[in-house]
Parts: sequence; structure tokens; C-alpha cells
Amino acid sequence: MSVLNKDLRQRIVDIIINSKEGHIPSAFSVVDIINYLYEKKIKLPKKNNWNKRDYFFLSKGHGCAALYVVLNKFKILSDKDLNSYGNFGSKLGGHPDMTKIFGVEASTGSLGHGLPTAVGVALGLKIKNNNNKVYCLIGDGECHEGSIWEAANLASNLHLNNLICFLDWNKSAQKLLKIENLKKKWEAFGWKSSIADGHSEKSLDKCFIKNKETTDRPRIIICKNIKGKGVSFIEDNPVWHHKIPNNEEYKIIKKELTL
Amino acid sequence: MIKKLRQQFADSVTDIGKKDKNLIVLVSDISHEILKPFAKACPGRYYNLGICEQAIVNMAAGLKKVGFYPVLHTIAPFLIERCYEQIKLDFGYQNLGVNLVSVGGTYDYSKLGCSHHCYSDFALMNQFSNCNIIVPGSALEFKILFKSIYKKNKINYFRLTENPHQVLIKSTDIRFGRGIKIKKGNSLTLVAVGSKLKEAIQAYNYFASKKKYIEVLYYHTLKPFDKDLLRSSVKKNKRLLVIEEFSKKGGFFSECLNATKDIKNVFYENIGIDSFVQDYGTYDQLNSRTGLDLDSLKKKIFKIIK
Repeated sequence: MSVLNKDLRQRIVDIIINSKEGHIPSAFSVVDIINYLYEKKIKLPKKNNWNKRDYFFLSKGHGCAALYVVLNKFKILSDKDLNSYGNFGSKLGGHPDMTKIFGVEASTGSLGHGLPTAVGVALGLKIKNNNNKVYCLIGDGECHEGSIWEAANLASNLHLNNLICFLDWNKSAQKLLKIENLKKKWEAFGWKSSIADGHSEKSLDKCFIKNKETTDRPRIIICKNIKGKGVSFIEDNPVWHHKIPNNEEYKIIKKELTL
Repeated sequence: MIKKLRQQFADSVTDIGKKDKNLIVLVSDISHEILKPFAKACPGRYYNLGICEQAIVNMAAGLKKVGFYPVLHTIAPFLIERCYEQIKLDFGYQNLGVNLVSVGGTYDYSKLGCSHHCYSDFALMNQFSNCNIIVPGSALEFKILFKSIYKKNKINYFRLTENPHQVLIKSTDIRFGRGIKIKKGNSLTLVAVGSKLKEAIQAYNYFASKKKYIEVLYYHTLKPFDKDLLRSSVKKNKRLLVIEEFSKKGGFFSECLNATKDIKNVFYENIGIDSFVQDYGTYDQLNSRTGLDLDSLKKKIFKIIK
């Protein structure tokens, strides 16, 4: 099976190994979506016109290594910043801090906060008649949080068609507490929903075409993802959730990501 | 007739909202009727978002990010205690500004029981260095103080009492961050917080009739704390009693102690809430249970100054 963005995955592993902190499988699960958004969807004006940007909220903050490497790719974060990840005095830690990192919209980490904040931004933009889009990436485990469903209900009631949510459906949460029929659940909350392969640009493209903007509803793209996607022994292996590879494992990871 | 603080809140946001297009009001199923004029005068900036307080607090952070001055309004335990993590992360950690306007602090909803009581809000909000804590005891105080700080990029917490103190204070004396010396005296410094000024003045009058004069300091702004006013009084009187409608654990008394701990030979006493108030009844009846009533205050003062 082909793996996109091996270079970004390699950077994720490098910074996490260097600092001995981070969630590699979660970052691997979402990195393709984040890269896709910054490459194809998110408008990023110059800093002096920054309020014209599209907004991206990484609600599942523990996947932030993926966001950092993408922000670095698009020159929002410097190499120096990226390489300082997790160090004392660094802007970058195991969860993102919006007061430190230009380009990060919310200091997420505690789950269930990013989406309702994105709802507030989307509402504010509509009141001000701004056409900017608001993208938000949440996890399926995050859907255990009640505040996600509060936000889902609010967004549809407020007709926030400028809000597009991505759900990282890697089914790791399923192992803890079943949360099934996510598509139906989101539709029941008034969202337009569709399912994509979150590791495939083609599938995400198709989904955007199929799941067009409505006049009155927020949209969600439920992404069938694989936690740890890209490295065989990390994929869908719960042991790796917050594990740091040793030297031997690092060699294998590097080999798999350079094939 | 005494104007209710909640009505003043509605009037203030309406007056300001007409001029400031960035003032936006979110409520959680409360005060709909009195906010109708705001909704009419400021179309698209009034949202009754039902009963999902946590997400509403997050939403306010989002609105702040795009340039609004959000005003959140609901009952104190649901706004502060239920949503504490949202407040901590969205506005404390992210350093965003918001106006949180509660009603039903302490046991203003006295007959509704513990679920609707809230006395830990001062201790909780006091954890944030970027927070202003305002406990106005009259409509005029709210009017002046809200207008003066709603735009500040801080967590502005306004706690509206249902039991105004009914003491006339000149508008020129009401200034953000400043306490007020209401009565001069030399037998005791009595600090009254918010609505408790009512009992403090009644106690003053009682002891004044016996030629004993207590100094009454009034605080509507608890954070930032006007320490100088307190220190000069305590240095002189060497006896301090604080009466507040907050939990004794981390209440305003703790701040007063810290502010005066270097002054030697001071006698300290406080009246606040010891633990859960699991009774129903009127506000006054619950006051007599907790010791926040006039009789208890007089007894406490008598013990100190006899």
C-alpha cells in the first residue's frame, strides 16, 4: 500500500525521538489530512493580512507533531523552531500553544475544546460577512466528549456552512468505548457528512466534490484512517500510542519510510 | 425603587451595543425577556444558545478571535464551576478576553438548593492573573464598572447579586480597582464585599449609637485589589473583620491577610461560608444559617471590640 508524505512522517519521528515526547501514531493518522488542507484548501495570506486567512483548528492536540511539520513545510515554522520541539524554552511542546506559535489557532490538548471554539469563529465570520472558511480536525476518541456534541448541535442550529470538520476515524477509541455509526450520528445532528480515506488525496478531493458546501449546514468528512499509518509495526498497535522508539526500532522506521 | 442588577446588565449591554458593533451577548437560557431590547437594537449579536454552557464558553473564545467582545451570561455555578476548564484554557491559557456575567452567586437561588449555589467562584477565578473580579452591590456600580472594562483583554468576571446593598454611593467614588471608605472609625476595620455592605452599614449604625465607631471599607472590585486602602486602615485600627459571601477556603479574607501580614499585632476575624449549605429557605434564612446575617455580624463585632 502506498504511503503519502513519508518525508513528513520522518520529520515527525525525528523531532519526537529527539525530545523523547510525543504521540507518533496519532500524528501519522492525521498528517495526510493536515498536509492536504494546507496544500489545497487553506488560504494563507501574508502576515499583514492575516485576518483574511482560513482557520484550522487541530482539536485533537496530541497529534500536533503533524501540524508542526506541515507548518514547517509551508514556512510558517522555522527549522530552528521545529528542531527545538519539546525542549525547555521551545515554542513547541507535546500540545500546541497558540500564544507561542504563530499559525496555531488554539491551545488544544484537553479534548473537546477545539471544535466548539471553531464554531465560535465560524459564527463570528458569518456575522461579519467574511467568507473565510473554518476547518477543524477532531478525533473519534474525542467524540466521547459531550462538548463535541454540544458544538455539533450548535453549529447546525446556527447554519454554519462555513465550517468543515474532519473526523480522524482511526477506531482506536472503539477499543475503549464503542462509538458506532458516526456518519448517522453526525447527520442526526444536522451535518452534511461523507466518508473518505484520510490518507488519500484523491479520496479527499472526491469527498470535497461530493460533499459540496450547502447553504445552511456544516459539513463533516469522516476519514477512515489508520493510527500509525506508514510504519508496519506501529499501525493500529495501541502499545505505540505514546511510546518513543528505541534505536533498533528507529532504524526500522527509517527504512520503512524511505522505501 | 431599587434597580435590579440584572436589569442594569440588560440596559448596559443595550446602550453599549448600540454604539459598539463588536459587543455580542451569549446567554444560556436565562434573562430572555430583559434582553429583548438588546436583541432588537443589535440584530445578529444576541444568541440564546440553550443549555450547553461548556461549548458556549469555547464559542466565546472563537468570537473573541475574530474581534468581538463576547459577553456570556448565565447562573454562576454553571458558568464558573461547570465551565472552569473552558475558562482556564480558553481565556487563562490562551490569554483571550471575555466578559462573564453571572447571577445566582452564593445562594441567591436560595430555595433551589445546592445545585444552584456557588461560593467558590472567587477562589477559582482568583487563580488567573489575567482576571478582573467585580462583585457590584448596586446597579450603578455595575453600570460604571462594566462600561469601564468590558473591552479590556482580560477575563472580566461580574457577579450580579439579587440582594443589592441599598447604600447610596456617589458615582464619582465608584472606580474600577478601588475600594471605598464608607464610614470612618477607630475600633475596627470592617471589610464588606458586594451585597454585604448592607449588613455592614446596619452594624455600623448600631455600634455608632453606642459611641463605638467601626471603619467600613467597601470592595466591589476584588481583583485587582486596592491593598493600600486596607493597609492604611488596618495599620491604624489593628483589628480586621472581613464579611464576604464566598467560601472561607480561598476567599477574599485570604487576600486581606496576605496584604497585611507584615503589620504587627493585628487581630483577624472573618465571616464567610464554611461548607455546603444544604438548606432551602429564603436568602435571609440561609444567611442566619451561615452567619452572614446582621445579628451574627453584630455578635462578632461585639466580641472583637468589647
